[in-house]
Amino acid sequence: MDLNLDRRGFVTAAGATLSGWLGRVAAAAPDGPRPKACILLWMAGGPSHIDTFDPKPEAPADVRGEFRPIDTAVPGVRISEHFPRFAKLTRHAAVLRGMSTLESDHKLATYHLHTGYQNRAGVVAFPSLGAIVAKELGKRDAPLPNFVSIGRGPQEALTAGFLGPDHQPLAVTDPVRGLDFIAPAGSPEQFGRQVDLARQLDGAFHDQYRSAAGTAHRTAVDRAVRLMNDGQKRAFDLSLEPDAVRAAYGQLGRAAAGADAKTGGGQPGGFGQGCLMARRLVEAGVPFVEVVMGDGVGWDTHRDNFPRTRALSAECDIAMSALVEDLRGRGLLDTTLVVWMGEFGRTPQCTGGGRNHWARAWSSVLVGGGIKGGQVIGRTDRDAAAVADRPISVPDFLATVCTILGIDHKKSNRPPGVDRPIPIVDTSKEVRVLSELL
Amino acid sequence: MRRLTLALAFVASVGRAAAAGKPAATELAALIDRHVETRLAAEGVRPADPADDAEFLRRVSLDLHGVVPTAEQAARFLADPAPDKRTRLVDALLADPRYGEHLADVWQGYLVSPLADDYRVRADRFRQWLAGRFNTATWDRTATDILTAAGKLDENPGVVYLVEGRLPRGVPDLADLASRYFLGVRLSCAQCHDHPFTAWTQQDFWGMAAIFTQVQTPGRPKLVYQIGVRDDPALTLASLQAAGTIDGFLARPPTFLGGAEWKADKGTTNRAALAAWLTAPENPYFARAMANRTWWRLFGRGLVNPVDDMHAGHPASHPELLDLLARRFAASGFDLKALTRAVVSSRAYQRTSRPGGDDPAKQAALFGRMSVKVLSAGQLYDSLVAVLGAPAPTPGVDPRAGARFEFVQFFSDDGDPDPTAYRRGIPHLLRLMNAGQFAGRPLAALAARIATPGRSADEVAGDLFLAVLSRRPTADERRLFQAHVGRAGSLDAAARELAWALLLTSEFSLNH
Repeated sequence: MDLNLDRRGFVTAAGATLSGWLGRVAAAAPDGPRPKACILLWMAGGPSHIDTFDPKPEAPADVRGEFRPIDTAVPGVRISEHFPRFAKLTRHAAVLRGMSTLESDHKLATYHLHTGYQNRAGVVAFPSLGAIVAKELGKRDAPLPNFVSIGRGPQEALTAGFLGPDHQPLAVTDPVRGLDFIAPAGSPEQFGRQVDLARQLDGAFHDQYRSAAGTAHRTAVDRAVRLMNDGQKRAFDLSLEPDAVRAAYGQLGRAAAGADAKTGGGQPGGFGQGCLMARRLVEAGVPFVEVVMGDGVGWDTHRDNFPRTRALSAECDIAMSALVEDLRGRGLLDTTLVVWMGEFGRTPQCTGGGRNHWARAWSSVLVGGGIKGGQVIGRTDRDAAAVADRPISVPDFLATVCTILGIDHKKSNRPPGVDRPIPIVDTSKEVRVLSELL
Repeated sequence: MRRLTLALAFVASVGRAAAAGKPAATELAALIDRHVETRLAAEGVRPADPADDAEFLRRVSLDLHGVVPTAEQAARFLADPAPDKRTRLVDALLADPRYGEHLADVWQGYLVSPLADDYRVRADRFRQWLAGRFNTATWDRTATDILTAAGKLDENPGVVYLVEGRLPRGVPDLADLASRYFLGVRLSCAQCHDHPFTAWTQQDFWGMAAIFTQVQTPGRPKLVYQIGVRDDPALTLASLQAAGTIDGFLARPPTFLGGAEWKADKGTTNRAALAAWLTAPENPYFARAMANRTWWRLFGRGLVNPVDDMHAGHPASHPELLDLLARRFAASGFDLKALTRAVVSSRAYQRTSRPGGDDPAKQAALFGRMSVKVLSAGQLYDSLVAVLGAPAPTPGVDPRAGARFEFVQFFSDDGDPDPTAYRRGIPHLLRLMNAGQFAGRPLAALAARIATPGRSADEVAGDLFLAVLSRRPTADERRLFQAHVGRAGSLDAAARELAWALLLTSEFSLNH
């Protein structure tokens, strides 16, 4: 349903026209190289690195756990047996085994990994990675927002901070239901009448008060109405995808083999459908999409580590592999960086069937985005308890992601009311970009 | 709104009861106006006209109670012919518990970390705890209670802001909070380097930070759950560094900002010593910080800006006025209600926010007119409830955390926003326009209550404007609605559409 709201200039005031829409979601860049995009697959709760991308078959039984490593497409690179599909794709990927970070509390670590900063009480409200990418790579006049989050995300970390409301994420809580609140409650005609009336009522107030806040409000209304009226909102509608494609990302409602009801995710398969929506959004030109896996408990496997990690891995393997294959099939993988990570890893020692928080050494994975794939970077010791080679701090990691995306991580912003420039990535200590990926 | 009804019922009695503090407030209001108007005259700037009753009522209700008045309250106030009705309204608002609840809401946003473990429940308890203090205690007492809060999370809600995740709040963060909100200075940049524009040095920052080492639990996450927040005299910057709890600091003994002599007995905790130093009448920061912050909150801009960065490099626009407010505030025993009563009783506060004259920018800068502020997420939610009643369950709105909490999370991303900065974008507007939570059944119910059979378009428009915008419609607005009835097809449908449109106006989203 497209709303015909152009009359009375409400929508055209925002610079939108329906005629510019070509009827396809795919919006190939008209000229020059396509700007890069990033899809962050956020593994809420903190996956066990030993049970996913840093297996330790030589370690004692209470460390190495129940899973076996398997070979992948890249000789010498071995990962958990529960990522069999992704194992075929490792030549596009870099496994970073030297993540070594400072926070081992969920919320503090989630904030740190998203913003790159630890101080939270200060004057500066730091923006999340998605907001930074939205500002640096997004198109200001695009009808679609430049930062979309899918799933029940960590609200306190998914913030635009001082970058302001233009870079706030648009949240899709359930990808299957689609974007909430995009359709008016009544008929399009009624909606059009109401918006007209609001606009006229607002006119006198603006003439009299001439306030910047009023203008900002009116602009926000214009942009929201414009999105409601724009064909690109179809990027949020998964029903437009062929059944075969939807199925490839994981069957909705059917838990992956071995899963029980305790994975803590939303509905089984929801993460896969979120990945599919991320692909549609990137295709339509959205530069940053965060897809959250693990509402509530998720990967926080203090108990039942093995059955839960097995189930989550199975669902994740299908979804993430489908995403990479789909991006590749559409020629988008070289310009789309897929990041797999959580807020920390988990303890080497497995006590009482569970693993606890572990920030000193853990793994993340980068795929696509034009990186040199087929690599493992960094190495942990025998028990994956400490980084033996090439430790990666949060600033190192974020600077690397920025560099891959073509963003200068040393570039500074000037938040309103703050006397000093704030670099995109905290440069107060030495930052080492993983240049071997470039 | 129930509470505001109560408040208005109290108007007569409380007006008399509070008479004791009133002459001082009236006198201070007159002095405020002398300072502001002398300066305007000297600069040749004409002040804006007084705000009309409707503008004043809505403004002071939002500023003191965080919510717009109901239609009934607005109708009664607008119809009241008494010349002292504004004074009585202010007295009633200040005497109502809702006053403390609103201030607590504001301060909870400043102090409690959104990363607090079990944030929703704890933030709520902290707010209730603070509300009681703002309603009954003076500011020195409240600040002391906040700064020295100790004990278990379940027993003393005052410690909530001292916990983040499952750990005690970090030393640099606590130094930041204390200096910005109680001293009105930003030391945080001096954490890493001497401040280029002020006297603050790294020594100053780490001297203040050292005060907060005693509440840490090095190497023991979750310990704060068992023993609560307590002050361990053995913990110093050096011992914390040895334990790896903080890095990159400068070893300093606990030092009050400005190097004042550390006066504390052996048994006194660092935090208690800080509170005693801070709330002494001669402290150079405490009264000025709150006077400036109160002015900032009510006028949308401080006498010094940024509000929490008071130093020689940021001179006050009206230095003598700031001195006066700080002096009187301290002399009153830090009676925040008295200070607030004086400010909102001034002609300066009671001017319209419509720009006028030859130099509108200068008029605003010299407080020759009120600024236009933006409703905070909490004010917006409470006002929607006041206008429309309880929210309806809505797909896409997770009810588990509680409707108000969820709404405030959705609509704000900063606990300490600039009161005049508009911070909403596409996600928020889509929700306001299309979510059934308010725009569905509650809105239809309001329209149905007002557009009853037999009423005229003018009557319906009059009631809807009063309900949503707390004012009567203009002749133009009535004509607009009459025309709209024709387009919508029925008075009932037109009423619904008008209610929707009024809620979407800038006027509703702003505090003008």
